[in-house]
Amino acid sequence: MALLRLRAALRGPGGLRGPGVPWSVLRSYSSASTKEKANRDSTCERTELLKVLKARAKQLQSSNAPEVTVNKGELSPLGNEKHQNPLQQAMAPGPTQEQPVPRAGGCPARPHSWVETLHKETCVQQLKLERKLSMAASQLDLGSQAKAEAKAEAKPKAKAEAKPKVKAEAKPKAKAEAKPKAKAEAKPKVKAEAKPKAKLKAKAEAKGEAKGKPKAKPTKSLKTSKAPKVKAATAWSQSSTIPHSLYTHSKPRVVAVKEGMKLESPQRVLKDKESSQDKVLQETILSSLECFLFLQQPEQAERILTLYHRSPVKQKLLDVSAYNIVMRCWARKGCLQHIDQLFSMLESVGLRPSLDSYAAALQCMGRNQSPSEAIQRYLEQLKSDGFHVEELFEKCLFEEDEKEKVLSAIRTVLPNYQLPPPPKPQTCKSSLLQDFYSKEKVVSYPKLDFSVEELQERFQQQLQMELNNTITIESVEAAKPPTPQAVKARELLGTLRSQWHDAILQALQKSKQSMAKARTLSNYNNLYPYMCLLPDEEYAGIMLQVLNTLSPQGESLAVLARELSSKVYSRYITHRKLRSRQLEKLKGVYEDYIHLLAKDSQPDQYLPREYWEKLVAEAGVGSSLNLKDCSWPYVVFMRLGMHMLELLVKAVTVPRNLLNPRLESKSIPVLYHIYSYQNTWQVGLIKPHPIFSQIVTDAAETMLTFHSSAMPMLCPPVPWTSPHFGAFVVNDTKLMRFVDGDIQHQLLLDQCPPVNLHPVLDALNQLGNCAWKINQPVLDIIISIFNDKGNEQLDIPPPLSEAPRPPSAPGHSSTWSKALKRELLLCKKKAAEMHSLRMDALYKLSIANYVRDKVFWFPHNMDFRGRTYPCPPYFNHLGNDVTRAILLFAEGRPLGPRGLNWLKIHLINLTGLKKKNALQERLEYANEIMEEILDSADHPLTGRKWWMNTDEPWQALACCMEIAKASRSPDPAAYISHFPVHQDGSCNGLQHYAALGRDLIGAISVNLMPCSVPQDVYSAVAQQVEEFRKKDAERGVKIAQVLQGFISRKVVKQTVMTVVYGVTRYGGRLQIEKRLKEIDEFPEEYLWEASHYLVRQVFNSIKEMFSATRDIQTWLTESAKLISQSGRTVEWVTPLGLPIVQPYYRLKSTVLNCGMQNLSVRTPNSSQKPDTVKQKNAFPPNFIHSLDSTHMMLTALHCLRQGLTFVSVHDCYWTHALTVDIMNQICRQQFVALHSEKILQDLSEFMLEKYCSPNTETIATWQKKLMEQLSNVPRTGEFNLKQVMDSTYFFS
Amino acid sequence: MLAGRAPPGAAGCGRLLAAALRPLLCGLSPCWAAGRQCRGLRVAEAAAAAAEEKAQVVKRRKRSGVPVRRYIACPRLARTVQQCLQRGAGPQPLLLEFAPGPGILTQTLLNAGIRVVALESDLAYLPNLQSLENSLDGKLKVIYGDFCRLDPLVSGTLKPPAVCSDKLFETIGVAAVPWRADVPLRIFGIMPQTLERNRLWRLLFGLYECNSIYKYGRVELNLFISEREYMVLKAKPGEMWAYQPLTVLAQIGCEIELLHMEPWSSFTTNLLSGSLAVPKSKWLPNDHLCLVRLTPQKNLFTGGLQPTNATTFIFMVKQCLAKPTSRLSDRLNSWSLDNGGELLKALEIPENAVMRDLYPEDYRRLFETLQNSSMFTETWFYDEVSESVRTINF
Repeated sequence: MALLRLRAALRGPGGLRGPGVPWSVLRSYSSASTKEKANRDSTCERTELLKVLKARAKQLQSSNAPEVTVNKGELSPLGNEKHQNPLQQAMAPGPTQEQPVPRAGGCPARPHSWVETLHKETCVQQLKLERKLSMAASQLDLGSQAKAEAKAEAKPKAKAEAKPKVKAEAKPKAKAEAKPKAKAEAKPKVKAEAKPKAKLKAKAEAKGEAKGKPKAKPTKSLKTSKAPKVKAATAWSQSSTIPHSLYTHSKPRVVAVKEGMKLESPQRVLKDKESSQDKVLQETILSSLECFLFLQQPEQAERILTLYHRSPVKQKLLDVSAYNIVMRCWARKGCLQHIDQLFSMLESVGLRPSLDSYAAALQCMGRNQSPSEAIQRYLEQLKSDGFHVEELFEKCLFEEDEKEKVLSAIRTVLPNYQLPPPPKPQTCKSSLLQDFYSKEKVVSYPKLDFSVEELQERFQQQLQMELNNTITIESVEAAKPPTPQAVKARELLGTLRSQWHDAILQALQKSKQSMAKARTLSNYNNLYPYMCLLPDEEYAGIMLQVLNTLSPQGESLAVLARELSSKVYSRYITHRKLRSRQLEKLKGVYEDYIHLLAKDSQPDQYLPREYWEKLVAEAGVGSSLNLKDCSWPYVVFMRLGMHMLELLVKAVTVPRNLLNPRLESKSIPVLYHIYSYQNTWQVGLIKPHPIFSQIVTDAAETMLTFHSSAMPMLCPPVPWTSPHFGAFVVNDTKLMRFVDGDIQHQLLLDQCPPVNLHPVLDALNQLGNCAWKINQPVLDIIISIFNDKGNEQLDIPPPLSEAPRPPSAPGHSSTWSKALKRELLLCKKKAAEMHSLRMDALYKLSIANYVRDKVFWFPHNMDFRGRTYPCPPYFNHLGNDVTRAILLFAEGRPLGPRGLNWLKIHLINLTGLKKKNALQERLEYANEIMEEILDSADHPLTGRKWWMNTDEPWQALACCMEIAKASRSPDPAAYISHFPVHQDGSCNGLQHYAALGRDLIGAISVNLMPCSVPQDVYSAVAQQVEEFRKKDAERGVKIAQVLQGFISRKVVKQTVMTVVYGVTRYGGRLQIEKRLKEIDEFPEEYLWEASHYLVRQVFNSIKEMFSATRDIQTWLTESAKLISQSGRTVEWVTPLGLPIVQPYYRLKSTVLNCGMQNLSVRTPNSSQKPDTVKQKNAFPPNFIHSLDSTHMMLTALHCLRQGLTFVSVHDCYWTHALTVDIMNQICRQQFVALHSEKILQDLSEFMLEKYCSPNTETIATWQKKLMEQLSNVPRTGEFNLKQVMDSTYFFS
Repeated sequence: MLAGRAPPGAAGCGRLLAAALRPLLCGLSPCWAAGRQCRGLRVAEAAAAAAEEKAQVVKRRKRSGVPVRRYIACPRLARTVQQCLQRGAGPQPLLLEFAPGPGILTQTLLNAGIRVVALESDLAYLPNLQSLENSLDGKLKVIYGDFCRLDPLVSGTLKPPAVCSDKLFETIGVAAVPWRADVPLRIFGIMPQTLERNRLWRLLFGLYECNSIYKYGRVELNLFISEREYMVLKAKPGEMWAYQPLTVLAQIGCEIELLHMEPWSSFTTNLLSGSLAVPKSKWLPNDHLCLVRLTPQKNLFTGGLQPTNATTFIFMVKQCLAKPTSRLSDRLNSWSLDNGGELLKALEIPENAVMRDLYPEDYRRLFETLQNSSMFTETWFYDEVSESVRTINF
């Protein structure tokens, strides 16, 4: 660099064409230098300035009084804790008391230097006062705030006791100059905390906060560690958000403390915020320790633990669970000595052993058959800590033989000890499900068409697949024979891959070696344990897999990193399950479980979940089926992924002259790293080198590798019995889908009493237990088209060979014209789109083809609102027309007397032709065109192709074929059909709103009222808008006249549909503008005005028709806004008992410094404030979705009791043609039952209790306002809900 | 609100303090008594009355929920700006002032004998400006249009106040001149702080591709930009956060000259609250708006750099400085450039040079060398450029 500078200087002005800025200007704008100057000259001005400052201080003080008390509020909870916890105090008497910590020199002078520092600080601050007076208080406060923090850190052992005092003193000391007495009082404490405080202060200085106090700075302070930095930073942000001030000295301290006791909640937000960084670190430590536990390396685990334990700053990151993990490590080895030692370590930091600590100790003693005295001692300590022996078996999770060992230890002391009986199964008490759960009317669970033996065999297959983790299947393209060129390319790729494999392996080992060398905490690499979990071969395999699936357009670094590490994680979980013998136990239970489902076993009057729980209780495996929570924090995922990606990019190379032998040979990287720009965002991408892409294209490999969780299950899924257990056999599945880093859903589910979740779990089990098979004739037709040239009209993506050819361009690229460049670009874009569509279809069809002769299942889970989804991502019944068309129920049922008619009506529904006609008319129409239907079924590709011109061609074709077969069978009523018939809700969101508000007009227009023909809400709105327009036009409104003849169903449809989901006027206007643009005759100059006018009228019309709907929406929105503004997230519970929380927080981006590139990870962080805009806008739609999911689940459960096959795609319900009528009846019954509950009242009560419970004497104004809002439930209309029962077109 | 309400005690106190400290803070004598402080320290001048009247217009235009606009409402500041603009020898070409608002500066410029075109996007100010135009027969031309929406990239019909540069130049009667000719037009205005960075980027893209206003030659910009952006524009290699791709491109593209610095408080905003709406800045200082003159370099398109390949150059600079602490040699290697080492040797750049330490001129030489070695055409690099240009050129 120096060389560069010199060279530049020699080259003269060409080097830096900097602007000719006069020196004086440069100096004047740099406020930093100004401040220094001011500092130096300040002596003369200081007195004057101080006067001003003091005057300001008084002003600020009076205006800031409320905030001041809020600030003090922090003291109270800690103080309370102290009193509640006499045990804890007794536990560690010595260390919790004031303990002088060795400190850096110069202490007697300290208080004095503090005064001086503060004095100087105030001077500096005054300069800022001139502009931002209101800020001054908070900035000055930083000093005191930081100091207070420092103290708390110095004594984590004494946290509970020491903090109140410390905090209280921080302030008097801060304005020591004004109150010499207080200074004296503070003195002894200052000493005790000298060291960390000094460090903190140094940080503060670095931030330009406190200047010119070299005396106060011990030499050691330079070596600042991360934690205090974080603290200082957060303290800084805190002080700016809530300006607490140091001018509180006019108030006696005691009074302040007392006052503070009243206010608690706002302070909690602050606490959370400050600890968010720590939390991540804490999680990281725990998961690293877990890794060592898995690796059975207690020495390593203890080494890490000790490193943190010894560091006075980082010690506070450890909680009991960290020590427990290490204890378990040692317990496995039977080293009681180490466990004793860990117990005393716990004691030394003032932590209280938990149940798990005792479990570990007992386990260890059971293992090495310790004498009964030692065991007795631990058992007594356990009791004196307030635990019971029974709790060990009820609350702890055991792996391997841990439980047996604990038991044997206890039996050494208490020979007759018996395990506590398993808890009695509870039944859900929800009024909506009284019938469902009542034991009197129990029907046996529907049987599958399989014997126990067959199901067991399938289970073995599924288990094997999941243990392999991935499965490689032939793609549907394999039917075509490979070209000689492809054969050659495949060979080449093969050799390259084996080279890469070796190279990766080598790089991996090298990096691991260098990581292992670290001996101290500062250079200890947190990733090391994660790189040891699997055999090196597996890491290399995972990395090579990524290389195989990388698209030529490249992929963002973050996505790739995430993919790599989650593969490692899932492998690790599999290994862990194997190791902990959890799998064995699960296998045993599952083999009994299938008796419930198999046709040749005794009927059992249980639900799958109940039966599973019963078996588990009988087998006595209990909690050992659940693994201890071992999820990794997001940061670990990203770092591990980035590390592996970096190794991959560096290790994988290819000779440059591979395709062009004329070039000289040199190896170049296969992957390159480049940045792309999306608006102002800079995104790092990894792209494969064109050479590599070319080889891959040439090779046209026909094997596809999937993760086993991407495949449908080959046996009935494991029933959900808790939020942590269910679905796949080995693969980890979450009950609730959520974005990474959102832990609050999981927390909420864990806190929820298990019995409340039973209905939801049972509904998911019911959906997952539906067996499927493939509609082979349709699949064959689709594959034939797919392997030919595709067909965009039929939604079969064509292969890349069909992509538009870019125009051949002559000469050098820089000479090309703009138009040519543009065209080239468009071609490339189109090709990229086609590629991804093609791949998606390829995956779906290949999976379908793989399971074509099998019966399979889709395990289900749900999103945070309770909407259910099948777990396998590519191929499932939620997919597009093509995938839906190739799915059939595995179970067949006769059509029955009305079945054929339902098939025909279903067909007409799929065509989208007779939407406004009655069912009878649709049926008649179907009979009319029977010839077309039969022709389509018999000659799909060669006939008249009637099916191709329908809304859902492939499903229509499948339906045609089914009708043809049924009608040709000797007795159509006896024809066994596997075909699912759908019933759709008509504008389901509005249906729920109309029912909630008992809107009469609204109810009619969304078919809640019986009518002879289906009502169309869109037409109704259009009509209403037209009426308004006419009136306006008569009154001479220009735009209303212009719009004459342009208002149609189509123009308003999208807006009406999305109104339910909270579209705003802004968005609605854009939608309408788009529609108007499509009308050629519409004068363009009126677009804006017209759409503006129309969206207003649409909203007015909806208001008129659904008078209560808008009220409810506004009420929900307003409530959410107030709740969010009070700093909390919106939570509610569905009528089925599912707790829901809206996961929208202000995003906070953390920068991860990874070798290749810094990753800015923006994660929703629950310690952040809620995002008010999102919280409020999303509440109405989310609430409605939680209702529609409840309706679906209720329908699913009651269908189960009637022995129906039932699956759903949100508001579209599927069943056999035979049972459509019954399902329709249940669906209506449940809708009425659901809305007969006082949904809004219940919501209001729940929220009032949650957000406005008077835990404090004084009620803040925001609380009053919120209370008023929440209690003011919108009134309802006079629609009679019962009428839904007779409405034909409610779902049709 | 103008001096109508006595300032509250607190604020007044602060202001006095400010008054006392200002000279200390700022080497120049700034016109800090703008806006609502005008009355307190009125300068006995006839212009003041007129300015006051015009400031009333600003007041009427004050609204909430509109993008922040800043105006020069103080005659002294107007005079300072006028002097700055007239600084520098040579002929004085036509001056285009965008978003003049109440027209206080416009008046000052006209008084100083400068030919002015006013481009105003707010209809409320137009009548005032137009009456001025009519009273001056030909010295002032007022056009309805928004400089920030000059040549929008979206296709479709152009709705005013969006303007097309072809039309604008035709209206004001400025013809295109060759690149090396003298400055055909000067532009003055206060850059809005929303999307300021993006607007600067767009101007630079226009400059390098000879698009938009630069189709007509080396148009000189005189802009009030925030201090933060100025720090970026004039940053030197090695400076921690300031040295950015924008720095390199701006320093190679134009002569950057700081004409004047003015505290935020000297400008009036269109906000109801009367707040200064100073954008937050993590990095100090952030006290001023800087009047910066950007004159395109005469010799920009000598050597390998041409308007046709300039986007490649921009792309290269952005890629290089995406991670300023990385080494140039690493970057070249990651681009699969097999002869990175030789290249650096030829350019006399040390192997371990870090991106941040390279001078703008180095980037230019690097580009020219790469251009000659046909690296851009042979490798994937060119595809990337064409792909990303569309997304960068917002």
